[in-house]
Amino acid sequence: MKYRLKETFDQIKAEEELKNRTKVFVSEKIQNDTSSKAGTAGRSIRRLAPVFVCMAILLIGSYWLYFTPAWQISIDINPSIEISMNRLNKVISVKSYNEDGAELADLLDVKYKNYAEAICQILENDDIAALLSNDEILMIGVIGNDETQSSKILADIESLAEGKKNTYCYCVHSDEVSEAHKMGLSYGKYKAFLDLRALDPDITADDMRDMTMREIQDLIDELSGSQDNAAEKTGDTDSNTHHHTGKKHRNSYKGGE
Amino acid sequence: MRNEQDVNRAIEQYSNLVRRLCMIHLKNYADTEDIFQTVFLKYALSSVSFENKEYEKSWFIRVTINACKDLLKSFFHSRTTSLNQVMEQAAYLPPDHREVLEAVLSLPKKYRDIVYLYYYEEYTAPEISSILGKNVNTVYTLLTRSKNLLREKLGGDGYEI
Repeated sequence: MKYRLKETFDQIKAEEELKNRTKVFVSEKIQNDTSSKAGTAGRSIRRLAPVFVCMAILLIGSYWLYFTPAWQISIDINPSIEISMNRLNKVISVKSYNEDGAELADLLDVKYKNYAEAICQILENDDIAALLSNDEILMIGVIGNDETQSSKILADIESLAEGKKNTYCYCVHSDEVSEAHKMGLSYGKYKAFLDLRALDPDITADDMRDMTMREIQDLIDELSGSQDNAAEKTGDTDSNTHHHTGKKHRNSYKGGE
Repeated sequence: MRNEQDVNRAIEQYSNLVRRLCMIHLKNYADTEDIFQTVFLKYALSSVSFENKEYEKSWFIRVTINACKDLLKSFFHSRTTSLNQVMEQAAYLPPDHREVLEAVLSLPKKYRDIVYLYYYEEYTAPEISSILGKNVNTVYTLLTRSKNLLREKLGGDGYEI
């Protein structure tokens, strides 16, 4: 019986015509399905285009808002760096102004973090701590357009730097900084350079680019001392000879010891 | 979705299988054509990937049987069909084969798939149970009963089951 069943079923075969009609039917269906899907996709894209445009504008706007610098912090000891913050007070870039600054910038992990964390990292850095204990001077400057905001940030930074030896804080308007950057100096160094040049017109930015703030301050003290002596000799004493860099500006200082 | 070449290959490879399953389930050629279109279109639109040809073959068996059942269940489908009407499809067969086919088609529907899969496709009872989603013991029972029924119709002497 098995063989009879097999033989019988062997006789039943799909007709060529049936196969061909099925091929044509399926082929047409596939093509219709593909074209209708393509049409649907096209319509969907056109319908969603305004949404995509809005999303793109939102993304670009957010990117622009996030990555546009709103204010900076200038750090000078010998490493000279400037940290740029966005409107949310998050660090978006760290720029070094000398070799030591580049080394310090490499050590810092502050990108996209709050400025307070950046200041803490810098103050806790072993090299910075060692320099401060060697009587070096650390200048921390807040550079911004908004005086109220700058004053508030300055107060925050002062509280973070409280108790640190030889650490001075100040704030300055952004307009005053462009000249410093043109000379390739951080603002702290630039301010010291201005003070130094007032005492010695021959000094250049390159002369002092790699000097520590302590060396610059000592030079200022030395030059102003000699001028004081000369003034004393001539009876013309300058009472404003304290040069903790930039005191002529609307600066706020926080002195350590 | 599969490409046309793949679908044409499947039609060449499995159309006889589908045709035989249609023969044991359906009553006319028009329904067979419907099933062909349903099964191969489903294959064309399906993204199922088969581990090997055996899986693909069992997929076609399952889909064809289900499509036939769905068609027969449909509201607009005539519920009663005489065996003579069904056999009109097999008018081209020689008398001896017509007798065998009649014997198979006279079996209750639940036996026909099992007879075909066991005797013609040579699947084992566990394989049939896996393809049809039935309990193995149920398959054995159905096989035994269908053998007895076929023996009665076709005669036992000289026929090995």
